Amino acid sequence: MNAAEIIMDTLLANGTTHFTGVPCSLLKGLFRLLEDPECPARYLPAPREDSALGVASGLAVAGARPVVLMQNSGLGYSLNVVTSFNLIYDVHLPLIVSWRGHDDNDAVEHDVIGRELTRLLDVFGLAWTVLDRDRPAECTQRFLDDHDVHARTSVLLVPDGI
Amino acid sequence: MLDIRDAIRALLDRDRSALVVSTCGYITRDLYNLEDRPQHLYLVGTMGIAAPLGLGIAVAEPGRRVLVLDGDGSFAMNPGCLPMIGEQRPDLVHAVLDNGAHESTGGQRTAALGDPVAMALACGYAAAHRIETADRIAAVELTRAPTLLHIPCAPRSHRAGRRVEPSPQQLVARFQTELARKNEETPTG
Repeated sequence: MNAAEIIMDTLLANGTTHFTGVPCSLLKGLFRLLEDPECPARYLPAPREDSALGVASGLAVAGARPVVLMQNSGLGYSLNVVTSFNLIYDVHLPLIVSWRGHDDNDAVEHDVIGRELTRLLDVFGLAWTVLDRDRPAECTQRFLDDHDVHARTSVLLVPDGI
Repeated sequence: MLDIRDAIRALLDRDRSALVVSTCGYITRDLYNLEDRPQHLYLVGTMGIAAPLGLGIAVAEPGRRVLVLDGDGSFAMNPGCLPMIGEQRPDLVHAVLDNGAHESTGGQRTAALGDPVAMALACGYAAAHRIETADRIAAVELTRAPTLLHIPCAPRSHRAGRRVEPSPQQLVARFQTELARKNEETPTG
């Protein structure tokens, strides 16, 4: 199994029922699995990351177990929902966020957010795990435990394409 | 022109079992002061997100109608969510209470809205109506989902009621208790 398949298996084994989000090339493998008609979870493509967080928040309030996927550039749009809904209503979500610009060697539009990404997450107290391609199941489990066990909005950062 | 409270009252009375999500600002406060029930999820922030949040609830609770109380300002902020709602076809009534102003920030005029009815239909909503009286709210057909109701309202002449008193966490807890209670009453298998 490739990394995307292992991540997806781990999410489904942990009870994930719905996915929403906006694609990123680094998350291509996950989106391919979500668009497969055989995918057992429901995928709701979103036009923008804040709407994805809104849909996932509604799903979570009503007892479903959603996961949100996005490129790190979408965190800017997302911050209003995170800070004025998720973090104050304690409706936490697991977010899989690509890390464009993590190595200073990406397209220029990713330089600033790529450089500041983990600091931004720390400012808002979001738990984060960087995906290690050699240990995808373990990293995904840790990311889910931060959400499920420690009741936090948690982020799985994906620095390389899966 | 309709008093916004009469519009909200008429919408609530259309389906007493509907789950209700209200947008931030005075619409949440009007709803809370008119009637406070556990099935109301009052947003105090996240302007523009009431409709997608209502979509999420409706997808997770397919047996129950969701009523979203949006304002003209919050609708104008996020029309991008309309095609997503149109695509998913939730049992959702999306009410746009339009008094042409951002009243809770001092009554500034709202950015251009376009025509919410035409936009909803173009985005795949099953039905959309412009409605100007409480009687029409009581009578309008709501069998096709999702439906958007564009409801012009008069600027508020009343003072904003008190702010929502339960904490955000309490609002979520009682909303979830209400869902669990109702689902126990009517098992869906």
